[in-house]
Amino acid sequence: MISLIKFAVCGLSNSCRINGQLQGTMQSQFKVLFAGMKTYDVPPDFSGVLLPEKPKLKFMNKVPNFKKARKEAKKLRDIQGPAKAANTFTSGQYAIVAMGGGYIHWGHIEMMRLTINRKMDSRTTFARWRINAPYKPITRKGLGQRMGGGKGAIDHYVTPIRCGRFIVEVGGKVELAEVEPILREVAKKLPFPAKVMSRESLAAMQQEQAEMEENNENPWTFKQIARSNMLGIRKVLSPFDLHHHGRFTGKFHFPGRV
Amino acid sequence: MAATLCGKLLPRQGWLPLTQSVRHGSKAVTRHKRPMHIIKQKLLAVTQYIPPRRVVAPGAYPSQTKKVKEESGLELLLKREVKNVFQDCQMVAVVQNNASNAEDMLILRHRLYKHGITVKFFPNQVMRSFLMGSNYQNMAHLFIGPNVLFVSKEPKAKEMLVTLRGSPQMVLLGACIDGTLLSAQGVVGYSKLPSVTTIQGEIVSGLTMLTSHTASMLQHHPHHLSALLQQYLKEQSPEASAEEAL
Repeated sequence: MISLIKFAVCGLSNSCRINGQLQGTMQSQFKVLFAGMKTYDVPPDFSGVLLPEKPKLKFMNKVPNFKKARKEAKKLRDIQGPAKAANTFTSGQYAIVAMGGGYIHWGHIEMMRLTINRKMDSRTTFARWRINAPYKPITRKGLGQRMGGGKGAIDHYVTPIRCGRFIVEVGGKVELAEVEPILREVAKKLPFPAKVMSRESLAAMQQEQAEMEENNENPWTFKQIARSNMLGIRKVLSPFDLHHHGRFTGKFHFPGRV
Repeated sequence: MAATLCGKLLPRQGWLPLTQSVRHGSKAVTRHKRPMHIIKQKLLAVTQYIPPRRVVAPGAYPSQTKKVKEESGLELLLKREVKNVFQDCQMVAVVQNNASNAEDMLILRHRLYKHGITVKFFPNQVMRSFLMGSNYQNMAHLFIGPNVLFVSKEPKAKEMLVTLRGSPQMVLLGACIDGTLLSAQGVVGYSKLPSVTTIQGEIVSGLTMLTSHTASMLQHHPHHLSALLQQYLKEQSPEASAEEAL
């Protein structure tokens, strides 16, 4: 075409520097002509949002300050089942929510604190812990010890987390798309499956669960069969299953179950 | 379930039960998914969630209530502009531009501007919705794909065609000149027409041909006129005698 021939002629006749200059001036004159219909959404109004004084996540101790540290029983039931405490939003807009049970230790907490404090903009966002500092002692015996000889010494402390509990809450003058990559990066590294949720998405999830329960076409439900002990099924079910209707097993959560 | 001694409190010191089973299962909460009893597995399989059955597949029938999309502010603004263009300009030509870069477009615009033709860009969506509402509904099918509008106050079809001949990637689709829709061939034919003044002159001359002819005849020498009249009488009389004889 005409433009190609012109370009070839320019390249042959002029030197590189002049050609570059010429191209630069030409580029500034040329406008990209198009006819588009894209209209942008109105950005959200953050006028009513209060930012607290200390927006970053505060440091949590590795060890709780007891005078005398007591060894505790394992009590794995603090990981079983759904969370009753800290399972709703308080001050923030977006949160990391645990989708399974597990123990968080100081390493995880430090990772979360450092990553979030580094990546978030403290002028527009704030973050809050929704978990306690590690308080449950975990004991370990030394390497190569035989069975017996008493309980081991306290090795480290952990925080038990149930499914549905909030870990970190983030809020401020930001939208989900700004905060999500940071929280997702953190959520991947936790020892249990975790999700990034906003107020709307949490409400949507709960709504979906309620709808599933309502419009279930299956005439048989776990709840009904377990409660009325049909076929003597209580022989293979535990009281835990009776409470949680087959949606939880150990520390795991089955999201598709109704 | 298998019973083992671990965790169990003995009722008396130094007492051991008669039987102790060696095998024991894992605890309730495990890192792995504990193997479930087959009956529990069956129960979970039987009590799965069954979603409500759709009678009709999702895309089978069109929706009953057609969603009337509200026109955004930008669309209304562009529509007003298009309306002004159609009102002000006598010639509105639609040209398809295939892969013309900014340099070619600039040159074309410069050449057209010398003849007073401006180049306009409008989204197809806006053009089609405007044309459907106006008289020029048949023009709406031209606005598919990348296109440009050439508009001018005076209908300068010939200059436009000459300029377009220089850029082969621009293809003329159609035009609306003086309120009439023309195809590409129609525009070519329109350009070949002589100007308005010449046509007016031709019409006037055609109408006044007879009177001018008689006026010119009367201005001839009277001998000529008398010779003509005599010839006319001669023609008349033999015809009359021929009729009498018959």
